[in-house]
Amino acid sequence: MALLEGRGLTKRFGGVLALEEVSFAVEEGTIVGLIGPNGAGKTTLFNVVAGALKPDSGQIMFDGNDSTGLPATVTCRLGLARTFQVTRPFAAMTCLENVGVAMINSPRTGVGCRWGCDGIEFLQVVGLGEQAHSEARQLNVVQKKRLEIARALATRPKLLMLDEVLGGLNTQEIGQAVAFIRRLRDEHHLTVFWIEHVMGAIMQAADKVIVLDQGRTLMTGTPEEVVRDPRVIQAYLGE
Amino acid sequence: MGDPVTDKRFYLILLVAAALLSLLSLGLDAYRLHVLIVCLFYVMMASSWNLLAGYTGQVSFAHAAFAGIGAYTSGILATKFGVNPWLGVGIGTVMAALLGLGVGVLCLRMGGIYLSLTTLGFSEILRIIITNEYEITRGTMGLQVPGLITVYSKPVYFFIMLGGALLTLIVLYKLIYSNIGLNFRAVQNDERAAASLGVDVVRMRVLAFTVSSALAGMAGGLYGHYLLLITPEIPSLDQQFLVLSMTVIGGMGSFAGPIVGAFSLEILAEYIRGYGEYHVLAFGLVALVVARFAPNGIIGLATRHFPGRAKPGKPVAVAAG
Repeated sequence: MALLEGRGLTKRFGGVLALEEVSFAVEEGTIVGLIGPNGAGKTTLFNVVAGALKPDSGQIMFDGNDSTGLPATVTCRLGLARTFQVTRPFAAMTCLENVGVAMINSPRTGVGCRWGCDGIEFLQVVGLGEQAHSEARQLNVVQKKRLEIARALATRPKLLMLDEVLGGLNTQEIGQAVAFIRRLRDEHHLTVFWIEHVMGAIMQAADKVIVLDQGRTLMTGTPEEVVRDPRVIQAYLGE
Repeated sequence: MGDPVTDKRFYLILLVAAALLSLLSLGLDAYRLHVLIVCLFYVMMASSWNLLAGYTGQVSFAHAAFAGIGAYTSGILATKFGVNPWLGVGIGTVMAALLGLGVGVLCLRMGGIYLSLTTLGFSEILRIIITNEYEITRGTMGLQVPGLITVYSKPVYFFIMLGGALLTLIVLYKLIYSNIGLNFRAVQNDERAAASLGVDVVRMRVLAFTVSSALAGMAGGLYGHYLLLITPEIPSLDQQFLVLSMTVIGGMGSFAGPIVGAFSLEILAEYIRGYGEYHVLAFGLVALVVARFAPNGIIGLATRHFPGRAKPGKPVAVAAG
């Protein structure tokens, strides 16, 4: 069953058609990759789904409810968590406090749970346990991306939307990261919707890949189908 | 709910400070006691403004105006309708809260400079109304109001203002170190990220505005009934900039900053009073320099040069969703 479904989503910025009649489905328990060249509309699609932007037309179904145009605050409470491509930490707050914000606003966090203690677990999951009491501004780029994931997990989401979390990693680290995200999916019973530029990672991790190009869905298929498709190769490499 | 250990420390510090101040007040002459009372008024004002500017990033210029709302509401009720001043201060506080809620809702969609300009406008409109509605407010002549106590006594007023300041600080402490306070800071740090994590940004901003305005209203009400004469000086922009300077110089966004700022600047202002009203200008300049070179104020400098314990990442119980 599809946990998330987009039907004919269109988003226009002035004269630019950022999304044109995009339809897609993210099945529960799967990892779905979203790829496409720069400017294809990947992050716009994320923003529309997560409620940071309202679509001009189309419909979004999340977990059986119509979530079209709901603001980010509400979609988060419904169980949709996202990370930002350009990280947005609460810079002057500690990592633990960053995670705490996510925990205290989640309707799925247990009653009486204390973020000061339990929040550490989310940081440890992403390897930031040592930095719990450091201000987020002191983290490096890779650590900030990890903090984004920790915060997203701390909302106890059903759907985790990752926007280019592998930037700045080497090949070996990418392999570890892919394993990590698969493990997250299994242990936290998550569904993952994942924008990534690092093709190798998506090919290893994803059950299904959606390719966007110039605001349209170019194709949807398994990683093997996608890499072999001439349209995809052309979109990436040009004429 | 706050962490019990840190809570205990806070109340202990507050208790010791209050006891020391009370002891000190016994040895002061009338003039110095007056200065101390004014200091306490500014502690209330600067601390509650800090909730807005320091913790949610909303730089409002209407804080003195809300003190004026509190003072004039209570003053007018007392002079025109014979309402008991204590009840008046309560009503003034509620009035300031309601207007704060209104302005807060009005400024919802505004960030940064637009919020500042709107509140500046509100402040000026209020001043013009007060100055021109002579029949009700006595304009610049000032409104003579009865005191909070039947027999005038400065020491008693000192304890009343001390009570007001303690109440203000406890309310602020409870709020800042609660889950709501954590949300306030999240909103200040990054609104979009906060929203994406389920923080109701709009509600947090309005809540901060309402509470902060209510506290200013209470401060203004108490102060007016202490002075026995309410003038447009209370809701003036001079006053606003003084409060701003105290907060910035003391340390915006820290709990102790505005308290330190209020005492040091008010006492300093008394020393240089001979030079007329230029001290507000001078403080404004100092505030600018501080904002540029020591953005965390005196408290920031102090913690940098005498690093004590790391700031506690306060564990707070999670409210049931």
